[in-house]
Amino acid sequence: MRWWIAGVAAVAVAAAVPLFLDPFGYAIRVLTLALLFAALGQAWNIVGGLANQISLGHAAFFGLGAYTSTLLLIHFSVSPWLGMFAGALVAAIAAYLLSFPTMRLRGHYFALATLAFGEVLRIIAISWSDVTGGPVGLSVPFAMEDSFALLQFRSTLPYYYIILGALVLISCVFLAIRHSALGYRLRAVKENVEAAEVIGVDTTRVKIIAAVVSAALTAVLGTLYAQFNYFFDPDAVFGIVPVSIRAAIVTILGGTGTVMGPIVGAFFIIPVEELANSYLSSQMAGLSQLAFGLVLIVVILIQPRGILVLIRDGAARFRKGGGA
Amino acid sequence: MTFVQAVIDGLMIGGVYAVISIGLTLVFGVMGIINFAQAEFLMLGMFIAYFAWQLLGLDPLIGSFLSFALIFGLGVLVQRTLIQRVLNAPPLAQIFVTVGLLIVIENLALIAFGSDFRSVSTAYQTMALRVGPLFISAPYLAAFLMSLLCGVALWLFTNRTWYGRAMRATAQDPMAAHLMGINADRMRQIAFGLGVGLTAFGGAVILPYFTVHPTVGQQFVVLMFTVVVLGGLGSVAGAVVGGLTVGVIQSVSTLFFPIQLQNLVLFIVFITMLALRPNGLLGDVR
Repeated sequence: MRWWIAGVAAVAVAAAVPLFLDPFGYAIRVLTLALLFAALGQAWNIVGGLANQISLGHAAFFGLGAYTSTLLLIHFSVSPWLGMFAGALVAAIAAYLLSFPTMRLRGHYFALATLAFGEVLRIIAISWSDVTGGPVGLSVPFAMEDSFALLQFRSTLPYYYIILGALVLISCVFLAIRHSALGYRLRAVKENVEAAEVIGVDTTRVKIIAAVVSAALTAVLGTLYAQFNYFFDPDAVFGIVPVSIRAAIVTILGGTGTVMGPIVGAFFIIPVEELANSYLSSQMAGLSQLAFGLVLIVVILIQPRGILVLIRDGAARFRKGGGA
Repeated sequence: MTFVQAVIDGLMIGGVYAVISIGLTLVFGVMGIINFAQAEFLMLGMFIAYFAWQLLGLDPLIGSFLSFALIFGLGVLVQRTLIQRVLNAPPLAQIFVTVGLLIVIENLALIAFGSDFRSVSTAYQTMALRVGPLFISAPYLAAFLMSLLCGVALWLFTNRTWYGRAMRATAQDPMAAHLMGINADRMRQIAFGLGVGLTAFGGAVILPYFTVHPTVGQQFVVLMFTVVVLGGLGSVAGAVVGGLTVGVIQSVSTLFFPIQLQNLVLFIVFITMLALRPNGLLGDVR
């Protein structure tokens, strides 16, 4: 039960932090982005962490979420609160269809196939300009006043709490899956697919369920991103590096397969990236992304299991050193 | 006649696709690693040829040798410092080392060269050969012939030289190769250097009809993977067949679909191949 209390305490702290910040300020924007990418990493973690199916195409679902809800809002005035479920449904169907050709693939092959899927959706979004606005992208129609029903606020504060809520929800889904029979089956897939098959696990079925859940949650975050930013283009929501790789990286940096992994990873890399952006990008475009890539390589070379393991090892060494 | 024309255009481009993709399959064959940063080396090769043209007045077709040599050296360095260290790591670490490399190279290029689109101008840029009712564009033909040359050179290297044979031996069985006195690490360095060098060469020879910018690699990502998966990952001959096939598919598909959807057609081919024959057209059925 100790982790449960720690979790509630962490959420309470996270909920209290904005009280000390300017609700229109830069700091809360950075924290909100960190929460968003932590949630994205957590959704990726369901397939990437538990089943070790390394997806490089989560941008596909993120973008489907952003486009579906925004198009519904623009053309039919559907509230994004409903639009996000429509987006989730579209993404779930896409993930289900994609699972047929990809479910037997592993490791590098699976990564290749998912990467290509994300890329193709990006290309469609760029080419199909009648609907998607093409390379220019879409703007969310803004009523110039706060509206909970339309998920529109002038200050960042409400977005902070909504996205915090999404992170908590997705983390709970992740934990629920991890501690369920499905979670054990997914980890059996991760350890040894043949052995899992032999003991009677329907590996295809559990992988599909995980992929569909992960895709639907990712699409919800796509909707929130669109509402939070008011504007997006194909590269921003369907991009390989901005979304697909970032979802994987925040998780890998923190530690895959653990609930804290994506959160630690996102709160490490997003502020670094944002600070680099705000202080350096006026001089050199690309510098913050460069830092992003270097951090990734260094962490993989030092400890591919992530920062959490690094900290644990470091703490163990420290205790050992102190005791001697 | 437009169909025949499209096939010929496709073969011209396909030859280049083969050369830029051979490196991916070569490295996979020797090390079992997919270099997700492969297209970034193509971009670097294009930039080297561009600056050779601008500063030294070298035609890109000549500058391509400079691109090959410099990127070969860079590839050896990357193999020694990065790839070597994840050879026995789980796929996750292998994938993300090269993904990290992709981000680093792309953004270094952005910092160094800015985001401008650049192109060269050559005397033969707008020329075309006329064969009966068909036209063959001179820069496409030149790039195709250079790629052919490159393919023949690679074949001679892998089949007629000691290093080439040693490299293939390492690919088949690193331990046995080691026992025969082959330095497997050196062979991997040569394989990676060759792999990215050939890609850079291919980038340089298309420069007369292609603009270069730091994110140009993104256009080639799905394409290169389709070529190697079509031919069978690890098979050099497969990459040639795959390259030509992809070139023709792409060119012929423009007769039926808008040009922006070329990559969609490629993706369908790609995903069908992965699902039905992951070992490629020339590989065994799994």
